[in-house]
Amino acid sequence: PRGGGGARGGGGARGGGGARGGPRGRGRGRGGGARGGARAGFKGGKKVTVEPHRHEGNWDGLGYTGRDWDGLGGDWDGLGGTGGCPLPGVFICRGREDALVTRNLVPGESVYGEKRISVEDGDTSVEYRAWNPFRSKLAAAILGGIDQIHIRPGAKVLYLGAASGTTVSHVSDIVGQDGVVYAVEFSHRSGRDLLNVAKKRTNVVPVIEDARHPHKYRMLIGMVDVIFADVAQPDQTRIVALNAHHFLRCGGHFLISIKANCIDSTAPAEAVFAGEVKKMTAERMKPQEQLTLEPYERDHAVVVGVYRYWVVLGCTGPPPKEK
Amino acid sequence: MYIGSKSVSVNLVLFKIVCCGFFPLQVLNEKKLQEVDSLWKEFETPEKGKETAFLVFLFYTASTALVEGKLSKNLKKILKKIVAKDAHEQLAVADAKLGGVIKEKLNLSCIHSPMVTELMRGIRSQIEGLITGLPSREMAAMCLGLAHSLSRYKLKFSPDKVDTMIIQAISLLDDLDKELNNYIMRCREWYGWHFPELGKIITDNLMYCKCVRKVGDRSNFASSDVSDILPEELEEDVKAAAEISMGTEVSEEDINNIIHLCDQVIEISEYRTQLYDYLKNRMMAIAPNLTVMVGELVGARLIAHAGSLLNLAKHPASTVQLLGAEKALFRALKTKRDTPKFGLIYHASLVGQSNTKNKGKISRMLAAKTALTIRYDALGENTSAEMGAENRLKVETRLRLLEERGIRRISGTGKALAKTDKYQNKSEVKVYDPSGDSTLPVVSKKRKIQEVDEQDTEVAVKAKKFKAEMKGWLLYLCCCHVIVCIVSVPQLVLLCLT
Repeated sequence: PRGGGGARGGGGARGGGGARGGPRGRGRGRGGGARGGARAGFKGGKKVTVEPHRHEGNWDGLGYTGRDWDGLGGDWDGLGGTGGCPLPGVFICRGREDALVTRNLVPGESVYGEKRISVEDGDTSVEYRAWNPFRSKLAAAILGGIDQIHIRPGAKVLYLGAASGTTVSHVSDIVGQDGVVYAVEFSHRSGRDLLNVAKKRTNVVPVIEDARHPHKYRMLIGMVDVIFADVAQPDQTRIVALNAHHFLRCGGHFLISIKANCIDSTAPAEAVFAGEVKKMTAERMKPQEQLTLEPYERDHAVVVGVYRYWVVLGCTGPPPKEK
Repeated sequence: MYIGSKSVSVNLVLFKIVCCGFFPLQVLNEKKLQEVDSLWKEFETPEKGKETAFLVFLFYTASTALVEGKLSKNLKKILKKIVAKDAHEQLAVADAKLGGVIKEKLNLSCIHSPMVTELMRGIRSQIEGLITGLPSREMAAMCLGLAHSLSRYKLKFSPDKVDTMIIQAISLLDDLDKELNNYIMRCREWYGWHFPELGKIITDNLMYCKCVRKVGDRSNFASSDVSDILPEELEEDVKAAAEISMGTEVSEEDINNIIHLCDQVIEISEYRTQLYDYLKNRMMAIAPNLTVMVGELVGARLIAHAGSLLNLAKHPASTVQLLGAEKALFRALKTKRDTPKFGLIYHASLVGQSNTKNKGKISRMLAAKTALTIRYDALGENTSAEMGAENRLKVETRLRLLEERGIRRISGTGKALAKTDKYQNKSEVKVYDPSGDSTLPVVSKKRKIQEVDEQDTEVAVKAKKFKAEMKGWLLYLCCCHVIVCIVSVPQLVLLCLT
């Protein structure tokens, strides 16, 4: 029983609703200061090209890579490290403005309202999703020039602090159908959104549990290759260590995003990062790289390291403690 | 991606995969367990892993009990069996709480140490090789299913709170209406070929179809009894018209086809009423407060327009007021005109029952309270409808006040009737502005505020001067005229005299 359309404000068409959703999504991005990122430049119909992410190997950022701690020539992964380190699964889209993109596992679907780019590849078209470095610490680290994220197609990733699943969706794009992402999130509100993301993507296993108690979700997770932690808790190193002891394989890697304010808001950021690094080495986690997320976040750093590295070296145990 | 918790006995390793069951594994080489740090080496390859532990048997259990560290029935049974077989064994558990519980209930001594954790790691990494007869894809699928069901259990997901049903139901309702309309029009047209007068007499569609279905060919009208479908006067009219109808004759087959169509129409109509009932029930279950505020249909349309109840809850009240009027809104914003005052909310009963003047105000008030109820429904924990009832009462009171304001004066004694303004026709008639005709530069009529006073005085002075001048001229002219008259009159007189 619909009335006549006369006084319905001119008989509004339902199709106009799309226009209202879009700007609001972009407006959220505009909220936190100068956010241009991947959204600003892409008008429909312009010619864009997508190429794999590759940056020069020699970098002079902070951190441990490039310095030869154990005399192995700095080649941790056997990928031939000095001449340009590609990050497999991550691409750069060049058009009027450049953007970091990942290949969409579920073409046609946008997870959090991000821009999608379709590129013709012969007679098929491949869809990529833009990755916003202001919303994702991993994207900020990649754009900051991190050497290796170790998250590659086919990897098994344990993601602590998955929140609503925005970065988890990009990690799931990178690992592809062969890999698995175990997303752990404790909050129920975000958990609901995470569950919806997991419904669409079959390589995401949602776990709504406290990451402090890995034994509570031990039946859901196998051994993983990489742990990514974005939990923002004061005892986050202990949390990651506990999860690593349970689930991370020997020689596996971890990426921890450290927010200095969260650990100790009175100490200077560098001191906080150094303290965290020390805690890590005590737990058989060897840090390899540290990178600040400078233009995208303030007083944040990402530390990449390896777990039980002596396995890689072929040794029987940890090196003897120096006197 | 398999795994449950693992209870490891020094000789017997009980490995639980909760998605498929418990797997007890037997540790073959005890000595190796002593060296904790090198334990990882034993599990480097599947073959080596097999040497160290092998599968005994497997069975099912409940995972939620495991999460909380409690003992489920199946687990108890299995452990009892183990106890019966090797009572002197020690059981190692990954979860200390579970170990304590097992020890209490079954008197089986449990250990929990770094050695156990190492053993677990090893088993976990070689789980595929250790458990034969289970392809990894199936394990992956089982694990995913288990994760989803555990998460839903945690989030207290209830299937009757899913708003997708509402959105689909309201879309189906719209589709059904369209289809029904099409079919009915077709039926009328087709049967009208045979009996055109029936279409004019019976206006109600369902009655028409039922009638056609019952009677068929118009010659049967006289003999058949349609009193259960039609009221009496109509029945008489129909029977009379059937005698003198000017429609053509049609064959049996044609009538059969028309009757099939009528069957369809009647079926769809019945289904539509059923669907509407279903929608009402669902709306009450999912968003009771919203239903109380604006009604089921409008509420369902709002949810469908926004995409989901949660999305609708994120909209501010002004958006809720204008949902559905986007075309008019953006057109007005682009051309800098007045924006529309209501969208889908126009069809709510509260807005419908107010005067045209007050519709805008009521729609704004209703949208404000409705936004609150939507948020309460989407994100709140209880499912009662009291909040909606209170808010509706508030809006109704305001509506009554607004309407009475037009009848009674607010200030003064309150009993005097307010004077109504004299009616003034405020029609906007656009007049052609001829100033655009001339291309000569024209002094702009718009002046700034500071200059206005000066200009005014200047103008006043000028006007005065002009007036004075004019007066002077007039006076002069009058005088001239008078003199002329005076001069002429005597001349005339003289002329006449002479």
